Amino acid sequence: MKLNKSCHIYGLFQPSMSVKSILAFLLLMIFQTAQAEGESTPDFIRSIGKIYVVAGVCLIILITLFIYMIRLDRKISRIEKRQKNE
Amino acid sequence: MMQESTTNSPFRLAAWKWAAMIILIFVFIAGWIVPLKPGIIKVTPDRAVAGEMMVVDVIGYNSFYLTDTTKLRGWLRLSGDTVIQAHHIQAWDDRNLSASFYIPSVFPVRQEAYPLTLVLDHGAEGTSILPNAIFITPASVQDTAEMKLWFRDKIEHVHEKAGVQYPFRNILAETIRNTYFHVPMWFCMIILFGVSAWYSLQYYRNADIDFDRKSVAFIKVGLVFGLLGMVTGMLWAKNTWNAYWSWDVKQNMSAISLLIYAALMVMRSSVEDDMQKARLTAGYNMFAFVLLIPLLFIIPRMTDSLHPGNGGNPALGGEDLDNTMRMVFYPAVVGFILLGLWISQLVYRTDKLKGNL
Repeated sequence: MKLNKSCHIYGLFQPSMSVKSILAFLLLMIFQTAQAEGESTPDFIRSIGKIYVVAGVCLIILITLFIYMIRLDRKISRIEKRQKNE
Repeated sequence: MMQESTTNSPFRLAAWKWAAMIILIFVFIAGWIVPLKPGIIKVTPDRAVAGEMMVVDVIGYNSFYLTDTTKLRGWLRLSGDTVIQAHHIQAWDDRNLSASFYIPSVFPVRQEAYPLTLVLDHGAEGTSILPNAIFITPASVQDTAEMKLWFRDKIEHVHEKAGVQYPFRNILAETIRNTYFHVPMWFCMIILFGVSAWYSLQYYRNADIDFDRKSVAFIKVGLVFGLLGMVTGMLWAKNTWNAYWSWDVKQNMSAISLLIYAALMVMRSSVEDDMQKARLTAGYNMFAFVLLIPLLFIIPRMTDSLHPGNGGNPALGGEDLDNTMRMVFYPAVVGFILLGLWISQLVYRTDKLKGNL
């Protein structure tokens, strides 16, 4: 299959749809977490809340690296476009 | 290392790039799913008067006190091997137990207050320790006959829990897993800056503008990893030290080293002439890397720091990074360094394409 040159990461899916599905996913996650915390016997991992720090650290690293890769991808797309025009 | 792939297949990647991905997947899985050893998170009451009987309620972490209650033993440790043993231990459930101690009215050493460490040993679950669990104020009437209640060398035949688990450290608890995510950021940054300094040296030898491009690409990505190390550290500090920034020596010095490199990028953008820009960058960059050594490796070790691994904190120094953690920590360092080299290579290739147009 030949990919369109301008098909960078944003072009792979429809933005409006993705926003909706991400929101739905987040809501579902928040709801489930709230439900789990409402149980009478909280498990030991959540009892001191330190695991959330590890989750935050991992998320920061992954999100930052992904944003950096997306920026790089767009930069390359721009160069490719310029190259085509010349 | 800077070869471009010769085929069009998206799966045709250099072996070290595959290695980076596989290692990092392993690190993220193992870093998350391996549980911690049992620990003690709370003891009530946390102060008492000497010469009295006391019952302490203990809350455990990841513990299974009910598994075999006959094998439960407990001690309060004054220092070294000077201990008193618990009279009776009653486990209420897997995470709660009560232990009764008689605190002797005399102590082998004379102090204002006596911080005692709680040590629990369980046949299947191994040993768990809470330093400074109970503070004892001296008794008004001291009975020297009670000196014989202090034992020496009585904590013996302690158990080690079998299986793959990370150590439970006080203060750190679950955040001990940050060793695999926060710490490799700094390792990666130092390696990237080192490679960058090497290319700067090459630029001085050959005056080839390509070396300048390479060294700048490594600085850019090194700065991203340094920033990641800083932000993840600040998040942890907010939870552990109650402030994002507490002017700890390690925080200050790493901020200074990041600022030095940020200044390098600012300086570059202010020079018009390309050759002059490259020459200035190469000189500055080599000095900046030399400066990293005192800033990151010497000054933080000369003073006291709150950071785990530095003096006065029961955390990652020496013996605390146990062999189970090493099996994940070393791959984490290698994996993140390879990822950093990979991204730097992509940045360099992009900059080269841009420069050739």
